[in-house]
This record gives sequence, C-alpha cells and structure tokens, in this order.
Amino acid sequence: MASTSTTQQIDISKLSLPQLAQLKQQLEQELSVFQDSIQTLKIALNKFSESGECLEKIGPDSEGKTILVPLTSSMYVPGSLTDVNNVIIDIGTGYYAQKDVEGGKDYFKRKVQFVNEQIEKINMLGVEKSKFHEAITMLMEMKVQQQLQAQKAASS
Amino acid sequence: MAEAEIQKKMQKEMEVMNGVRKEIQKAMTQKQQLDSQLNENKAVKEELTLLKKDSEVFKLIGPVLVKQDLEEARQNVAKRMEYISKEIKRTEDHISALENKEEALQENFNKLKNDLGKLKLKA
Repeated sequence: MASTSTTQQIDISKLSLPQLAQLKQQLEQELSVFQDSIQTLKIALNKFSESGECLEKIGPDSEGKTILVPLTSSMYVPGSLTDVNNVIIDIGTGYYAQKDVEGGKDYFKRKVQFVNEQIEKINMLGVEKSKFHEAITMLMEMKVQQQLQAQKAASS
Repeated sequence: MAEAEIQKKMQKEMEVMNGVRKEIQKAMTQKQQLDSQLNENKAVKEELTLLKKDSEVFKLIGPVLVKQDLEEARQNVAKRMEYISKEIKRTEDHISALENKEEALQENFNKLKNDLGKLKLKA
C-alpha cells in the first residue's frame, strides 16, 4: 500500500528482486492508467474540435438555409435556420449557455487548448515513469545475472 | 499458546484485514468520483463567470432545457462545489482512519506470525 512518492526516495539498487518486481508491476499499472487517460482525453479533444469546426460553417449568410434535422439516427425532417448568431453550448453538469458564434468558437478553442495541456502533462509524467520503469528492468536483469554467476561460482 | 490457536487467530486477523482493505478501495474510488465531479464543477463555474451579464443560461432537467437566472446558476454551482469539497474531506478522513486501522491489524498479524515462528523453532 506504499505510495510511489515514498518508494521513489529509496535507493532502488538496494531493493531485492521480489521488491523490484512488485515496483515494476506497480509502474506498469500506472502507465496503463496514463494510456487510458490519454485515450479518453483524445476522444474529448476530437469532440471539442469537431464542434468548433461546425461553428466555422455557420455565418451570417447561413440564415434561412434549409437543413435536415435528425429526429432519430435514421429519420430526418427539413427545417430552416432562423437564428444564426447564437448557439447553445453544453458547459457541463447539466448547464447550457447561450453564446454568439464568436463566443462559441472561443469556447471550443479554449477547451481544445485545455485538453491539450492535460494530455501534455500526462505525457510528461508518462515519460518519467517509463524511464524509471526501464531503469528497474535493467537493474532486475543485472541482479539476475549476478545471482546466476554466484550460483555458478558456488557449484564449480 | 498452542500453534493451532495462533493459526486460527492469524486467519481471523487476515479476514478482518482483507475487509478493511476492500473498504479502503471502495473509499478511494468514491474519492476519485468526487474529485472528477469537483473538476467538472470548477470548469462550469469558470465558464459561468466568463459569461456576459445578459447571457441566457439553461439547466437540463430531464429532457428539457429550463431557463435559469445567471446569478442563481452561479450560486448553485458554488454551493455544489462547497458540498463536494466537504464530501471529499470526509472521504479522506475516512480513508486515513481505515489506513490506520489496517496498519494496526498488520502489526498485530506480524506479531502473531513471529510468535508462531518462535513456537515452531522450539518444537
């Protein structure tokens, strides 16, 4: 149940093989959590940038244009755009805010930036952990070699 | 103490410890959920403060969007954040209490293990 912040301060070369193996496994688990998080963030990123792109297509000249409104995923009814200046955006936890098109674009731009920052942060942490993971793997190999040699020396 | 008695005790301790560990796990997931809720609320709060005074805000209730006063929405979100923060604090306290309990149990267990080892050495 030890947290990594305390284990990282221990000199890893002094740890025994089973301890190293445990640490390695823990790191692998953390790395996979990072991977999952990045995946989820990328999905969110796509959604935001897609919505932003949709707004690019709405301008003053779209007023009165006919569109097909989906009632279900396979049934559409024709409609026409009456208000092309305002959009209603889901800002989370069930709240929706009305914004003008420019404000909407700005919103999605900010969100994309925010998500990108998060991805970057996780990436940095991931690189750090991978390095640590590599070091442990190498150390483990070294210890195994040492043990093998010691055994050989003892038997001969 | 007889060997069998110690072994029985160890088994019992182990069971209690596993129960506590499970509880810790549960509390941890709960805390994670609360954390993500708090984060979402933070984002919403920020968005609401960025809105112009006359912007319209809607709240999704079931399948309908109901218009809501901007000021009221801000207050609602602030209140909710306060509540979630309190819940997080409570869960954290709960976790640390459980962890203390686990540590004590582990110590007890180790002691029993030692006793058993000594008994076996003597035998």
